[in-house]
Amino acid sequence: MATEIPADEHPARDRHQIQTLILAIAILSMALLAVFLTITAATWLNRYGFLHFPLGFYLLAQGLLIFIVAVGFWFIRMQERIDLARGESEGLE
Amino acid sequence: MSVPSRLRTPNPHLGAYYGIITSAFVSLIIVLAMFEQLGWGRPLLAQSMLIVPLALYLLIAVGSRTLQAEDFFASGRRVPPVFNGFVLAATAIGGVGFLAYTGTVFFLGFDALAIGLGWTFGMLAAGILFVPYLRKAGAYTLPSFLGHRFRSRGLRMAASVMQLPPTALLVVAEIKIAALIASLFLPVSFSIAVLMLAALIAAIAILGGMRSLTWTGSAEFLVGAVGLTVVVTTVSILLTNLPAPQLTYGETFSSLHNAEITAGLTPVQPGELAAALPGPMPLATTKPFLQPFGILGEGDFATLFLCLALGTAALPSLLSRSGVTGSIAEQRRSTAWALLFVALFVMTAPAIAAFAKLIIFRDIALAPASSLPAWLTELADKHLLQTGDTNGDGTIGAAELLIGRDGIALALPAAAGLPYVLSVLMATAAMAIALAAAGAHLFTLAASLAEDLYRVLDRRQALPRLVAAWAAIAATALAATVFLLIAELDPLKAALTAFAFAAATFFPALLLAIWWRRSTKWGVMTAMATGFAVMLAETVLGGAFGLGTAGFSTSLASLIGAAIALVAGVAVSLYLRKPSKGEETYREEMRDPDGETIYDRAQARAAVQAAAAASAAEADAPSQ
Repeated sequence: MATEIPADEHPARDRHQIQTLILAIAILSMALLAVFLTITAATWLNRYGFLHFPLGFYLLAQGLLIFIVAVGFWFIRMQERIDLARGESEGLE
Repeated sequence: MSVPSRLRTPNPHLGAYYGIITSAFVSLIIVLAMFEQLGWGRPLLAQSMLIVPLALYLLIAVGSRTLQAEDFFASGRRVPPVFNGFVLAATAIGGVGFLAYTGTVFFLGFDALAIGLGWTFGMLAAGILFVPYLRKAGAYTLPSFLGHRFRSRGLRMAASVMQLPPTALLVVAEIKIAALIASLFLPVSFSIAVLMLAALIAAIAILGGMRSLTWTGSAEFLVGAVGLTVVVTTVSILLTNLPAPQLTYGETFSSLHNAEITAGLTPVQPGELAAALPGPMPLATTKPFLQPFGILGEGDFATLFLCLALGTAALPSLLSRSGVTGSIAEQRRSTAWALLFVALFVMTAPAIAAFAKLIIFRDIALAPASSLPAWLTELADKHLLQTGDTNGDGTIGAAELLIGRDGIALALPAAAGLPYVLSVLMATAAMAIALAAAGAHLFTLAASLAEDLYRVLDRRQALPRLVAAWAAIAATALAATVFLLIAELDPLKAALTAFAFAAATFFPALLLAIWWRRSTKWGVMTAMATGFAVMLAETVLGGAFGLGTAGFSTSLASLIGAAIALVAGVAVSLYLRKPSKGEETYREEMRDPDGETIYDRAQARAAVQAAAAASAAEADAPSQ
């Protein structure tokens, strides 16, 4: 038996907004956490080397930037999937 | 009938056009390098390298002139993502980033990395938090978006007024950097250079608005990228035998460390943030490059990073480009491209600083004062560097070597012994990026004056839309010129203050307007006004009442302002009335990734209504 959805309820829209919010919070907190952990541990990390760079310096000068760019492109892929799912769900409603 | 923006196709030949422009610029470099070997004078080489690209930018602007409002304010909403990424990156970095950030890394080394990291994280945050929703809204300016979101002219005008200080500071900072370069390499004074460059930027903006700024900005980005890449790669090959400066400058650290010890540089202690950043006048290097948290402590580093991250995410000049691509997905991709380009520059700047510091300290420090290298005289003539044996010990130590912060990148080719044409190439690259950024800031400011203040104030709409924008562009360029001719300004400090203003004023307001269903007009207005007031108090009263000396620095003030603004916005939104049905509908539509741009649909509806009213009046006329 099909269930009627009340006119003021939009399950696909609400699901989309929650997924979008979770994705935004997850990505930004992941990047922010990486930055703050690196800042805190930079002096200690500098005892180790990577490509002739002190590791703490390397992470702040390049490593975190590469990570942020990768995360930025990954976000686009995930968000487009979420957007597509909303479009399909709304088509079915 | 207007075509929905997502169905518009960009010019398929754009790649070919910009390939030709890049090839022509590379050919110019090669030809001038050959002419240098054939004995051309330096003034002629400098004029050819700097003026030919300027003429090209003007030519592109003439070719992309327009009288259509949508083209003028939103570039027709058909800019491909990569090209929008070019202009976004050039606007975020700017001449200030190109020269002043590189110089700051030279002086502060490790500690300056907070600035670049902040820019990069800010681009990511903008792409996730704001850009897609501003694209769906489609308003031409940031204040216009806020005005439409809450159906409030007052909010729109207030946002426009609060957008003035940060954007104006960035306009003058970028024009100053471009004029400094022109006065160093062309036979013109600084004042004439300011006049000429402000006129050029205004002409480009007047000819085609956002459209001409997009296409000239793309060419300027490519000129900047080619110039930077050629020079830094050449220096990298000379110093490390490998053409990958970002990966190889670590190899020079042991030599750099030895040169610093020889010159008498010893580790330093963290100080006040306000006094820590180097000024524009030549000064001595005091901190070893690799010493972590030597001038900025860990807390100051994190504060500066967060301030720049929030400021970049909410910078009006970047967000006003949120409506120029065909769809939300394309706009998101364009921000990701910009993020990549900004990250590449931020990774390259420490390589420039490390190479320059190694060469300068190796060649000068503790060399006999009587036999200094020849390139030193050349740089001293341009006031990029000053030195003298002040203590009379026969050698030059670190304390006797005064270096201009904004001249480090320009001095690198000469210090590395490269042909003069590469020095001018670096100057051309920096000027290109400064002009692209100056144009973007100028247009953001002028478009807001015309669209958000004048058109709202003058409800009779006496002047057509584009004429008001032209007048605002000309007036803004004139005001920036007059300011630069009478006032002294440190471009780096001005830019950091602008980012701090954007962080405190617009970040909390946009966060509430886009992400919180319960936000109201008065809540967002309170958030903006609170953040702005905190920053105004810090900037205007800071020196007068000693707040600056109490460690209440600009970046810290912006974070405190943003936090207070967010709390105030939430409190006022909860205390006063609930959002109206119209506000809720707008928000839900804005969050929907499908469907036509809200602003375009409203414009089309208004046009249909106007046409219906006109035809009804026409039908009534014969019967009367």
